[in-house]
Amino acid sequence: MEARSVPSLTDADDRTLAGRAADGDVRAFEVLVRRYSPLMRAYATRVLGSNDETDDVVQESFITAWQQLSTLTDPSVVKSWLMRIVSRKSIDRIRVRKLHVDIDDHEQEAPHSSTPPQVAEAHSREAALSRALNDMPAEQRQCWVLKEIAGYSYDDIARELDLPVSTVRGVLARARKNLIREMEAWR
Amino acid sequence: MTDDIELEGFEPADLDGHTIDELSDYLAAGRQPLDPSIESSPGCQIALAAMLRLRTISLALLESDVAEQPATDESFIAGILNSIGFEAQAGRSIPVQHPSAQASLILTEGAVRGLIRAAGDTVSGVLIGRCTLQGEVGVPGEPVSVLVDASVFWGESIPLAAARIREAIYAELLKHTELNIVAIDVTVHDVHLSRSLGEASVEEIE
Repeated sequence: MEARSVPSLTDADDRTLAGRAADGDVRAFEVLVRRYSPLMRAYATRVLGSNDETDDVVQESFITAWQQLSTLTDPSVVKSWLMRIVSRKSIDRIRVRKLHVDIDDHEQEAPHSSTPPQVAEAHSREAALSRALNDMPAEQRQCWVLKEIAGYSYDDIARELDLPVSTVRGVLARARKNLIREMEAWR
Repeated sequence: MTDDIELEGFEPADLDGHTIDELSDYLAAGRQPLDPSIESSPGCQIALAAMLRLRTISLALLESDVAEQPATDESFIAGILNSIGFEAQAGRSIPVQHPSAQASLILTEGAVRGLIRAAGDTVSGVLIGRCTLQGEVGVPGEPVSVLVDASVFWGESIPLAAARIREAIYAELLKHTELNIVAIDVTVHDVHLSRSLGEASVEEIE
């Protein structure tokens, strides 16, 4: 009879799970995948501006995470570490897209059918921001999401997007003004 | 699109000479050091409030995006788990003696960590986290220390749990390896409450 209290991995804290996964425990890794997939998918969809490639990006991110987990010195920060990986993978996708479509100066926005789901967005404030973000030029949206949602610094964004810091500042300034205008108008 | 978007109410003339970018940096720095010329400007205060609102909505947007995600597809998870290799965590090679001089037997460090984890987990109310082997594990007889991270159920005695973890790990390593274990250090980093068992855990344990 199994009367002993065996703590469940599902409830384990991040440090335990990431530590075990770094040591090769696939079950612990699976719990991390289940725990952070929704966040990583939501975030990648925002950076990418559509959910066409979200699944691929998040899967790739987890595979990279598994390979590099042993290099994570503080397993308790696994969540922000995963977010960094998914940021990078999303940006890589955008780069590849650019290589394909950079012939003209057009903003290649995602088709409207695949923009982030807005149906159930109960809060109209958030719906308004969602629309404003989707309508923005891709570069502005990416910089904004990295800065305000992921908490990147100007330097980080410049490095990740391979742009001069001054350009990033300029893009963010425009994004900020665009969004303030949209949101203040909504108010 | 033009580089300079005019935004009524948010231009330097409205902000007592300050710019939105400046105010954004000021906000990012936690309004430190306090700038009286910003704090006493009604125009700046309006702009700061608008930026704070925007930030709050941005974070709320991600939260609601997360809440709207469909349940994670099992095939999505399987896709990840089927693609990960095990070499990444194999670590160093640990020799094990064999009666035959021709045979060379090794255990991977990853396998030994697996043994340690399984042994530690047998202790009631304990979950083992990261585990590290310190020392020249590749050289027989060299002193090796084991460092384990553990979380313990709320209500368990931590010193007692740590002692049991040590015993369990030591016994297991003695049985399966020839490592010269000189120390087993246990770090209890978390005392956890079971979320799934909740208050019913008392009944479960009886």
